[in-house]
Amino acid sequence: MTHRSAISRLFPSLRTPGDLLRTLGPAIVLAVVFALVVSIAPGILKWRAVNALLFDAAPLLILVIGSTLPVLLGCIDLSAAAMASLAAVVAALLMPVLGSAAVPAVILGAGLIGALQGWLIGRLQIPSFVMTLGTLGVFSGLALYLSNASTIGIGPGLGPFDFLGGRTAGMPNAFLTVLAVWVVLALVLRFTRAGRDVYAFGASELAAYMSGVGRDTTRAYAFAISSMCAALGGLMLLSQTLYSAPTMASNLLLPALVGVVVGGTAISGGVGGLSASLIGGLTAVMVRVGTTIAGLPGAAQDVAFGVIILIAVAVTTDRSKIGIVK
Amino acid sequence: MNAILTLRGVSKHFPGVTALDDVDIDLHAHEVLGLIGQNGSGKSTLMKIIGGLHQPSSGEVRLRGAPVRFGSPLQAARAGIGLVHQEQSLIGNLTVAENLFIDKPTDFARLGFYRRTRMNDAARRQLEKVELAVAPDTPVDELTFAQRQMVELAKVLSLEELVDGHLVVLFDEPTSVLTPSEIQALFRQVRRLKARSSVVFISHRMDEVLSISDRVYVLSDGRNVAERRHGETDPDELYELMVGRQRAGSILPRLNPPAMDAGKRLEVRDLTVPGKVAEVSFSVAPGEIVGLIGVQGSGAEAVCRSIFGVEETYQGRIAVEGREVRLTSPRGAVGLGIGYVPAERKTEGMMKGMSVAANMTVTFGSEYGHGGVLLAPARERREAEKWSQRLKIKTPSLDHRIDQLSGGNQQKAVLSKWLLGRSLKLLVLDHPTRGLDPGARADLFNAIRQLAEDGLSIVFVGDTLDEMVTLSDTILVLRDGRVSRRFDDVQSDRPSEEDIVKAMV
Repeated sequence: MTHRSAISRLFPSLRTPGDLLRTLGPAIVLAVVFALVVSIAPGILKWRAVNALLFDAAPLLILVIGSTLPVLLGCIDLSAAAMASLAAVVAALLMPVLGSAAVPAVILGAGLIGALQGWLIGRLQIPSFVMTLGTLGVFSGLALYLSNASTIGIGPGLGPFDFLGGRTAGMPNAFLTVLAVWVVLALVLRFTRAGRDVYAFGASELAAYMSGVGRDTTRAYAFAISSMCAALGGLMLLSQTLYSAPTMASNLLLPALVGVVVGGTAISGGVGGLSASLIGGLTAVMVRVGTTIAGLPGAAQDVAFGVIILIAVAVTTDRSKIGIVK
Repeated sequence: MNAILTLRGVSKHFPGVTALDDVDIDLHAHEVLGLIGQNGSGKSTLMKIIGGLHQPSSGEVRLRGAPVRFGSPLQAARAGIGLVHQEQSLIGNLTVAENLFIDKPTDFARLGFYRRTRMNDAARRQLEKVELAVAPDTPVDELTFAQRQMVELAKVLSLEELVDGHLVVLFDEPTSVLTPSEIQALFRQVRRLKARSSVVFISHRMDEVLSISDRVYVLSDGRNVAERRHGETDPDELYELMVGRQRAGSILPRLNPPAMDAGKRLEVRDLTVPGKVAEVSFSVAPGEIVGLIGVQGSGAEAVCRSIFGVEETYQGRIAVEGREVRLTSPRGAVGLGIGYVPAERKTEGMMKGMSVAANMTVTFGSEYGHGGVLLAPARERREAEKWSQRLKIKTPSLDHRIDQLSGGNQQKAVLSKWLLGRSLKLLVLDHPTRGLDPGARADLFNAIRQLAEDGLSIVFVGDTLDEMVTLSDTILVLRDGRVSRRFDDVQSDRPSEEDIVKAMV
């Protein structure tokens, strides 16, 4: 009894053991999945394996983080993975002209396009699902067109890519970049007006609007951040392979959204956050890795992935806050 | 007289809150039982237990002598208990007939397909019971609120054909958004109902409860504190029983008259909203309370919404502190120091699922931070605590979810969202007391009066003439979108209700 009250003092919202499970749930799920993977393949605990895993996972994780913002609004950004591919293609094309400046140029450009897309959702009253389904097509097509549907190599020895592909103190820089972006965005969400507007908007778009929250601006910057993270993810992929391919990130679309929901962020908006997404993203990565290591054939991998994701979401969702499930 | 429904020692606990505490209730045959109490006193919880939405934590419910425990509203309905909801439960895009039979086994569906003619005939028979003349194939969305309520009642009454014995019909605050003539029509139906059923009736308006009920129970803090028979009591005694203090003098008199000759806070010239408002002009001085009044559709609400930037297509001129402005969004209005408490609290006023604190700080919390960008959570929290204490918001803590508070406390939190703004100059209140009990209403009025004394300008649309006259310095009567009459100096020269009503219709 005493430890119950100690816990409820620390976390006033936790009244029952069930609440505790749901709050810590995503982390527990990650731990369980990790333990399972380790039991199948103890070798994964070796530093080199962890290192390689984090390096590979970085592009997906950054997409998960970016995709969280539209989902917190109750929207969805389906164009993120296509934006990542497009960013890689454009960066590869701009490298010879702009040199290292291509990197900030691409990220900034992605931000502007994302902001425009977020703003248009409100202005044109097109649901985000449809809007980003459309831009998914536009971005993929542009990537194919600009690259002539072929790969474009970039030479080694280019500052930003050497950095993203390199290591600091034994940690992959790409993963450190993920952590840095995560920290900055988490602080923005927690400690700025704009961040709080995101949650207010997600809880009730109408009530937030009637409280003076700017609808179009809030949507614009959430989608801008989503696109910028996607572009960064594309650049990370580019740094891993040193060539761009017009569809190189397209298989990240669904895993990125899976990471968001497995972390506990409600698809209906207002509930969740970036820490949840980081955990969810890692879970998605571990499930992928686990099914591969376990030697499942490709089709069985997909089935296992789907089933594990459904279980994870079922265990961790706090339905009392969400109310309606559609 | 034998009791149809008895509750003995019924309690209901929610996490952190005891909503009902050892309540005994008897409902007799052919009786209208009134149930009154403040917001949060447990009336709605009691209704929900009887109606099968909640299960009691302890205690016993007996229906026609046999103990019952309903797991769902459907089970309660099968036993002959029907609830006419406070927030209506009809499905808007289905027709009247489809709604009537949605929860019942029917003989006019074959292989899952409706046989429309037979269903509509059956619906017509049900609608006759409540004297409602609408076509059964009308989508519910196209009905007025009062008509939808009658459809709900018909839906409950159509249980008669399924149940052996007579019905128990529960009304949860059915009158709060009805006009006086609609209320009379509802009462006529309730009286007719007595012949075939027992009725439990909840309302905040004590005169209504007294006129319709044979017996009244008063709830306070989840306890059943008094029982009175028809004719044994009066509104003043009921008020005391439920609020715990005397009624008279519950609203403060105006101390300082507003600074009418100072520069105007707000000037509205020839405001026109196509189809709603036509050439309305008025101004608001610092500390002045301007009441707008009119029947539904008179345009008072549209005037409020124009001032807050929601009616983007308005024509005419609006000036704030002498500077002409064009209001196209709430955000723009907030930037000019204008706040708005909407009539639709649940959808526009509060963010459900978020804490009381989050709701209070959403608009102006950043004023307590740094540069309007970075937040200072501790400082804004202190400010929220301060207003929560000043307005006496009843909540276990500010971290509690706002939708778990009673209506009155929700409304206080919505109001204090604006009061956190140090640059707030004008507050627009659209039916701020809708759905509030008399005690919460008096609290809110006193808060509004106090704010005006402190210099805040207020534009307000009220529910009743009485509250308009009590609170306003100036009253504008609207009719068909135009100002039909204006009363100045209301506090020193009170207009008669007759004069106001004459200008309304």
